Amino acid sequence: MNIAVLSGKGGTGKTTIAVNLAVNSKNAVLIDTDVEEPNSHIFLKPHIERTYEIKKKYPVIDTVKCTLCGECGDFCNYNAILPAKNKVLVLKELCHDCGGCELVCSFDAISFDKRDIGKIYSGKSQNDIPIIYGDLNVGEVSAVKIIERLREIVANEELVIIDSPPGTSCSTVSAVEEVDYAIIVSEPTPFGVSDMKMVVEMLRHMKISFGVVVNKSGLGDNEIYEYCKDEGIVILEEIIFDTEIAKSYAKGDILSYKIEGYSEKMSSIMNKVLESENNE
Amino acid sequence: MRIAVCAKDEGLNSLVSDRFGRSEKFVIFDTTNQEYITIENSAKNESGGAGGSAVRLLDKNKVDIILVPELGPKAMDAINAYELKVYSFGDSITVEEAINGFSDAKLERILTNTNDGHRGLRRV
Repeated sequence: MNIAVLSGKGGTGKTTIAVNLAVNSKNAVLIDTDVEEPNSHIFLKPHIERTYEIKKKYPVIDTVKCTLCGECGDFCNYNAILPAKNKVLVLKELCHDCGGCELVCSFDAISFDKRDIGKIYSGKSQNDIPIIYGDLNVGEVSAVKIIERLREIVANEELVIIDSPPGTSCSTVSAVEEVDYAIIVSEPTPFGVSDMKMVVEMLRHMKISFGVVVNKSGLGDNEIYEYCKDEGIVILEEIIFDTEIAKSYAKGDILSYKIEGYSEKMSSIMNKVLESENNE
Repeated sequence: MRIAVCAKDEGLNSLVSDRFGRSEKFVIFDTTNQEYITIENSAKNESGGAGGSAVRLLDKNKVDIILVPELGPKAMDAINAYELKVYSFGDSITVEEAINGFSDAKLERILTNTNDGHRGLRRV
């Protein structure tokens, strides 16, 4: 079973919930797909057992075969290939590695080379929690390649907890693709609710069942409760804002080991998720 | 010879634009018949690579010279690949001033990029 933890707004507690769900679930593997700023490993402090180099292809033009017809440039949606006067200019950092330019080339002039765009690290925490996280090189435009590879690596695992990127961009879509359930971690602030609405829209569009964890409750206002009620969205759990939690988090602690009652809340979330899946 | 100027609006009286790749429009002036046209910059809303795409657009419009406020590294590579010439229009305020500046040989040719590039619109 694959469970995504996402939020819309950044800083609502995705990683905190994802890490603690993994800690409290048997046979769970945590993957951190927020590869632009992975931080699950800061809490789990894994011993890295394996590193994968992630590469992305980009087109290389055979100048003998190329007739400068311009088909590749017309096709490319990302301006990565510019058929100019005497040569074809390839802007490899803009290439999304779709392979389309090769398909539209009538002269068999396009082949591909590879370049590094980031890494994936796989290891286990001191308490034997398996964690796999990606790290995208600074300046790269798209994280999707690394996220797809992360999902491939855990394809045969029994239970995968996915710490997703914030927002509703391609990276987030890629992280939640084919999950069985999504947990939206939100906070009861105007920004938290506003961004959560976009996530709800995305998940409904993708036909993924989901529930909400209201983190840092007691802050902000009541909009989140009214919205969930109006939309018929289940609130899985509420975690009251507490400076002890904030202090412990800031030290890089795993809250389940430090805060009384935190483990129980995680188990309760997990049980509700499993229940809702069994009822499907 | 056809000269393109980064412009905010249509025609010779338009204000010049302060971007190249994401310029609103381009006014293209033909020195042989003194006529001009204004084209939309189809590259202005690209998520990335607007500079290169704008160069390609101008090449398709048979432009020889481009008058710009600034130029990034990828746009510079594209300018060289398309064998076009770029000049900085400096403190020209209108398209006409920029073209006059060029005709009077008062503008400076740009041979290397003037900025380190922008990050695009990040709609990825």
